Amino acid sequence: MDISSWDGTISLAEFHVAARALVEKWKRVSSASPPWSWVSCPKQPWVASHEVEGYLSLENIILVSIKEEHDELLSFPQKEETSCSDKEESIDIATLSQSDRDEICYYDLHIVYSASYRVPVLYFRVYYSDGEPLEFEDIKKHLPAHSAKTLLDSKWTFITQEEHPYLKRPWYKLHPCGTGEWMKLLFQGDVSLARNGAAIEVYLISWLSFVGQVVGLRIPYEMLNQL
Amino acid sequence: MATVEIQSPSSVRKVVVHLRATGDAPILKQVKFKIPGSDKFAKVIDFLRRQLHRETLFVYVNSAFSPNPDELVIDLYNNFGFDGKLVVNYACSMAWG
Repeated sequence: MDISSWDGTISLAEFHVAARALVEKWKRVSSASPPWSWVSCPKQPWVASHEVEGYLSLENIILVSIKEEHDELLSFPQKEETSCSDKEESIDIATLSQSDRDEICYYDLHIVYSASYRVPVLYFRVYYSDGEPLEFEDIKKHLPAHSAKTLLDSKWTFITQEEHPYLKRPWYKLHPCGTGEWMKLLFQGDVSLARNGAAIEVYLISWLSFVGQVVGLRIPYEMLNQL
Repeated sequence: MATVEIQSPSSVRKVVVHLRATGDAPILKQVKFKIPGSDKFAKVIDFLRRQLHRETLFVYVNSAFSPNPDELVIDLYNNFGFDGKLVVNYACSMAWG
């Protein structure tokens, strides 16, 4: 890839390569954290037959805000999803001692490829332990303080609510319009990385280190070490 | 090149942070400074915001990733520093239509 003419976007095939790399690496280095998994979906009728459809999923995770000071990713896997339509539930019971149970909310994170912007997009939803979704104003209260501020100030990260492209339900989405520009900027500093073709393998990891901050997702150092 | 020191107890290990402007970002007069390792990366981000008078900054390490503001500077340095410093790149928000 010639970094100077690259616009920071990736093709669907490249997204698949990057997704595979993310899943494998995450599993390898981060066995304590819940894993990202690839969810395959029935093809939309207008998609060419050789193209695989799907998205990356990380669900039922708790991103705890402790008095707006500190965010941690805790792993309390509650169910595993193997496909869009068929869900097998295996319940892991974990105990959490928390003084204020009202503060616990769960996140589902999906990484979906946007064909129009040619970049990954983060879709997420947030819900209480009883499954009730949070109102957007309450989500903002639960976001890490730094990112809530970034959200309100930044041109690059803003949240919209849209229909999930596969699940056909309203999800929150981090708007992708600046992604190509800042991904290009990010890789520009290291030409050798791009020339060696390694950029695609790490694209999603680098991307996630940015967008994950909006929801308080921390990327383990081992994931970032080889970037 | 002069380094700006931030006062702290002498027992705390300090980390040298090297700030690099990328894209259209203004270059600071002083680009290297020492910060206590026990400080969070948020301090670096806030420092940049104040120096550049910009709220929106794109801050990343080693042309690779953006650290969570809660990460400790010493942890970042130990994992991603080289040549005795932590290189932090920054760019300002870009204008688009």
